This record gives sequence, C-alpha cells and structure tokens, in this order.
Amino acid sequence: MTDGKKTIALLGQPNSGKSTLFNGLTGMKQHVGNWPGKTVEQKQGSFSHDGEEYVVMDLPGTYSLSANSDEEIVTRDYISSGKADVVCILADSSQLERSLFMLSDYAGIKVPCFLILNLADVAADQGKTIDAEKIRRKLGIPVVLMSATDVKKYDNFFAALNEAISKKTTLDVSALEERYSKLDGFEELKAEIPEDLIPGCSSTWMAVKTIEGDKVVRAKIENKLTGDSLVRFNSHAARFDKGALLTGECKFSWIDDLLSDSVNKVTATVKTSKLDKALTNKTWGKVVVVLIVIGGLLLSFIPAVPIMLLGSVFTALAVPVRNALNAANASPIITGIVCDVILQSLANIVKMLGFAFGINLVFGMFEESGLMARISYVFDNTMSKMGLQGKSVMPFLVSFGCTIGGASSSRVIDNWNQKVLTIALAWAVPCGAAWAIIPMLAANFFGPYAVLVIIAILLVMLLHIWITAKIFGRKLVKKEDRYGIIMELPPYHKPKWGAMFRFVLGRTKDMFFRVVKVIIPVCLLFWILSYSAGSIEGSALYKIGTAIEPVTKVFGMNWQLFMAFIASSIGKEGAVGVLTALYSQSGTIYGAVNGTNEAVANSTQLLLSNISGPQALAFMFAITFNVPCVVALAATYQETHSAKWTAIITGYYTLGALIISFLVYHIGLLIM
Amino acid sequence: MKSLNELKPNSEGIVASIDGDARYLSRITSIGITPGCHIRVLKNDKNRPMLVFMRDTMVALNKEESKNIKIETRDN
Repeated sequence: MTDGKKTIALLGQPNSGKSTLFNGLTGMKQHVGNWPGKTVEQKQGSFSHDGEEYVVMDLPGTYSLSANSDEEIVTRDYISSGKADVVCILADSSQLERSLFMLSDYAGIKVPCFLILNLADVAADQGKTIDAEKIRRKLGIPVVLMSATDVKKYDNFFAALNEAISKKTTLDVSALEERYSKLDGFEELKAEIPEDLIPGCSSTWMAVKTIEGDKVVRAKIENKLTGDSLVRFNSHAARFDKGALLTGECKFSWIDDLLSDSVNKVTATVKTSKLDKALTNKTWGKVVVVLIVIGGLLLSFIPAVPIMLLGSVFTALAVPVRNALNAANASPIITGIVCDVILQSLANIVKMLGFAFGINLVFGMFEESGLMARISYVFDNTMSKMGLQGKSVMPFLVSFGCTIGGASSSRVIDNWNQKVLTIALAWAVPCGAAWAIIPMLAANFFGPYAVLVIIAILLVMLLHIWITAKIFGRKLVKKEDRYGIIMELPPYHKPKWGAMFRFVLGRTKDMFFRVVKVIIPVCLLFWILSYSAGSIEGSALYKIGTAIEPVTKVFGMNWQLFMAFIASSIGKEGAVGVLTALYSQSGTIYGAVNGTNEAVANSTQLLLSNISGPQALAFMFAITFNVPCVVALAATYQETHSAKWTAIITGYYTLGALIISFLVYHIGLLIM
Repeated sequence: MKSLNELKPNSEGIVASIDGDARYLSRITSIGITPGCHIRVLKNDKNRPMLVFMRDTMVALNKEESKNIKIETRDN
C-alpha cells in the first residue's frame, strides 16, 4: 500500500518457482537489501499492468510459517503487518500434495490471498492432470495453474490478482478447522485466544501455532492474556505433546481431501539420472562436484569476457585523457585523480561487474536447474562442521581463482548469516593473484625450497579457515541455530537463459552503484596518501611508513615492505611492483599497484639484494592472507549488504596478516 | 519397526512415529514427513545425509536426526 500502489507478497516453499515468478513480473525493476533490523535478504520489485502500479515483495523461501528461523519470522511478521494487499501463495504442481503445506499453514491468516499452481508444464510431463476449478471451489480463492517460466502467458495470473484484490478473497478454512477441532483439547485452547490477538490472525491459527510449540506466538498470547484466562490457556496448551505431528496430520489430511477429486493419481517413480548417480556416488561425488564448479567458473568467462574487455577501454582512455590534461596545463592533482583514480577504478569496476555477471549467470543456472541442491547434499557433512550449508563449498573453490567471484557466488546461499560466514572464510583462500606472484617470489628467494613455501601456505590456509570459522562462527551461526539438513532435491529443470539473463543484468546494474561507492573512495584515499609532487619521500605514505617502521619491523617488515603490504590490500598483483618502485626509486606507488609503471630492469636482483630471507618469507605470507583486493571488498559489501560486517572482515584480515607475518618472520629467523 | 537411519537403500515403509523437540517436529512435518506417510530410502551412505523419497519428492535428511523417525517396514 505504498503511494496508492498495490503490494503483492509472494509466499512459497523453496523450489516452488517463486523467484522465477518474481523475475518474470518485475524484470529489471528490482531492489535487493536487508529487512530492516534483520539479517535476512529482502527482494522488492515493481511492475505495471493495465495502468496499475504494483510493488512485489519476494518473501524468503521457507517451508512453513513457524518460528524456526529468522526467514520464517520475517515472512510471518510481514504478512501480519498488513503491508501487503494480497498474498500470492505458490505451490509446485508436480509435488502438489507436499508443497500445498504452505497453504495449509497460511490457513487462518486473514490477508486476502490467491493460489498459483506453478510448474504446470512439469506436472503435465509427469502425466498429471489438475483441475484448478475444483480446487478453487473448495478454497474460495482464485487458483491459477501456470508455468512462471512462460512469461508471455501471465494473463490468468493477472486476472486472479485483480480478483483477489478487488474481492478481498480469503481462504475457506472450515474443512481444516473441522479437523483441528477433533484434536483432544483443541476447542478449549482456542476458546482462550481472542480473535486478532495477533493482528490478522484467527484464533484457530494461533491455537495451531501454540500446539506446534511456536515460542514466538505463545509469548505474544501470554503477554496479552491475564488472570484466569492465562492460567487456563497454559494448562490447555500443556496437554499437547508433539503437537506439530498432530497438526501436520490434520493439514495433510485436508490437502489429500482437497486433491482427491481434482488431481489424477499418477504413481510417481524416482528416476535417478546418470548425473545424479555420478553426483551422489560415495567415492566420486566430491570430485564430480569440484569438476562441475571449475567447469562453471570457466563457463562464466564466456559472458564475462566481452564486459571485461569493455573495462579495458577505460584503461586505454587514460592515455589520451592524460595527454589532453597535460596539454591543457591541468594541475597534476586533477590529472592524477581523473586518470589514476577515476578511470582506473572504472576499468576495475567494469571488469569486476563482468566477472560477477558471468558467475551469477552460471551459478544462478546451477541453482535454477536443481544442480545446486545436489552440491549441497554432497558437501553437507564437510561444511556443516563449520556451521555452513553444503553449497558453501562453491565460493571456496571459486576463490582459488578469484575472491571477487567467490563472494559473488555466495549469492545462492539462502541464509544471510551463513553467507557472511562463507565469505569471511573464502577470503582466506589464496586467490589467482597470490598464485601468480607467490610461487615466483618463492622461487627467486628460496630456489627449490619454494615448494615447501607453497605447502606451508596451503597448511596455513586450512588453519586460518579453521580458526576463522571458530571466531566468526560463534557470532554468526550460533550453536542453537545449527541443525541438520532437511532439504528437497528438486527434479532437474531446464533453466531459462533469457529470463535469467535479464534478471542478472538488472542486479548487475544495481551492483554498479553500490560498488562505485566502495572502490572510488578507497582508491582515492590510497592515491592521496601515496601522492607526491616529487619523489616518493614526499608522500604521506612514506612519512607514515618510515615513522612507524620500528613497529612494522616487529612483523618482519621494513617501511618498503610495509608499504607494499598496504598496497596489496588494493590489489595483490601490484605488491611486487611497489617493492620494485621503492627500491629502484622510479615510478609511483599508485602506478605500481595498477601496473602502469615502466618496467624496471634487473628487478629480481634488486629485491634479492634488499630483502632478507625471513623478511621475504614473512612478506609472502602477509600478502597472501591480507585483504584480497579492494574489488573483493566491494563484492563482499555487495553480497552482505552490510558495511559493518565488511569492515569487520577487512579489519580481521589486516590484523590476521600482520600476526601471521610476525610468526613467520620469527620462525624464519630461527631456521635461516 | 526400525529407525530410518538403519534402513538400506531401496527399502520402504510407513512412518510410524517421529520423536524430537518442537523445532525438529515442525521442520520435518513442513517438508512433508508425518506419521502414516510412505517413505522409500534411496541412499544411505556413510558420511552423507540420507536420501529418501516421499510424497513425490526427493529429500536429503541429516542422518543423526533420522534416528528419530521410526519406520514400519513391509518385511517385518
């Protein structure tokens, strides 16, 4: 009910095609953020139809309306807040009996609603015929049999939407109430709960939730009731044991009755496909998953590369712009900010967006097709030890290539806390840039012993992940919130590239503005600190670096190494370049980070003669486990929507890298 | 009667009872597992969740928690 616009809330279990409908309706008009004060992602969109403006709220995909998770509480609170004019409940036509559970759980909530029997095409393929009209007559609300993937055939959806809003259609719950009333003690309990004690909820609904052991609903009721009525309520409530089973049986018996004469019974058979056989194989499953993720990563470059090339345009543009500014006698500060900060950042941002676009497209497809659920199953045991879902394995694998991709691919993790924890851990995985410079540095300094350095880095990575999981896990995924997997493995669907493409493109646009807000200020700050009219000695960074050198030396870093360390949080590729620039007294620090300095001859010799073995070793560990790069930081902010957690993770990694550097340096002094 | 986690692949039966705290019971019923429902075990590998089929749906279940689900199998 925002500015005369009608608000629709989409409610459905995971895999009911809720996101498909949301994307189909709103296209690129979407906004993603967090629910106010909650760590749950909020997806909102808008569309217009027949001159009417609509707002769509995509409620989190949950299996019920109980209070088992933040997602469920957010969903419930939103519906009872009355902010939605109508709730659109989705069910999967191919698994109607099971997926109508959400509808039965909704029964008793008085917000107008209508029902979408989605995935009609899949049901038809299974030989199921569904009579939506019969279901409609029993429920008293509009019922539409449709496929949300078929964006051109939404006419029936809009008709149902209009009818539900104009007639304020509410669910006929009499048949279900009849079943509840047969439960021993139900009527007595219900009699104690006033209608609308929780706004928009019937006594029956609140009684059912009480029986099910819903602590939130129960607390609300106990808060409002007083005296004898409270005593009676509590004593009636205490009579129920394992209430969720009792109400669950009522709900499914109601669903069975609802479907008895409207759906033909087709005995569903499980077809285990070849892919499923390979994926769920006891021995090879994990290998297959790793191969699929690597394949996905490579595949994501196909859509990514054209966009990434577009980014190079900005880099190329910097040359003529610089010449023009120089010719116009512009101040070197203006030239620096325009060419080094803004154009260079835009180049990096566009490259990142291209990469994130590819990743989100491919891994979004994995999700849509049902593949992701299999990945989750295969890695559940491993990842649940850290309080994560099996899917979290993916951001880890992708991070070996690039942490930006790792952070982006965490989008498919549907629990915000687990998503933040996953990203926090994935930062510890050395990325492609680290792999590009560390082996080379190690070989220069330690010859054949370089192999040992690499092995040590991998061991420290595992230790880092383990410790970070303990530290962050305690806060993010609390013990009492950790429970075993109960997850549907949906049948494979053929994903719709077109719809997915538009949707991901829409989010990438959203991402651009968010990312610019992070990258430009950070790069500007770094540029200002490293700016000098003359030699490097004129920069603030030099002054700070040399002033605190006594402290950084404890960590095994002289001022040059420390500056390179700081620069590596902007981009690891530049770390060696910064050292070369500092020791050869040529080029600029900022230029070194972006690789725009001119090459320095005998740079290897330069490093070898200025840096000791233990220092080099400490430095390699420090930059490997430092903040991956400013773009990864922006990607983390983009996916978590939390400046606070992005800052915490950044601070943690900076500090962690210094501690690791300290330890490695002192161990190095002992053994070298 | 056996616990679900003891069943071998391809064995099937009817859910006789489910134990556990309120949260578990609420979660397990909301995915469709209730007493009286027919269930078939697809996979029961070591160090993996169980894979079962019920109400037209393939579901992965934590093995430890599956001890709570008692099944009346056909053969006993």
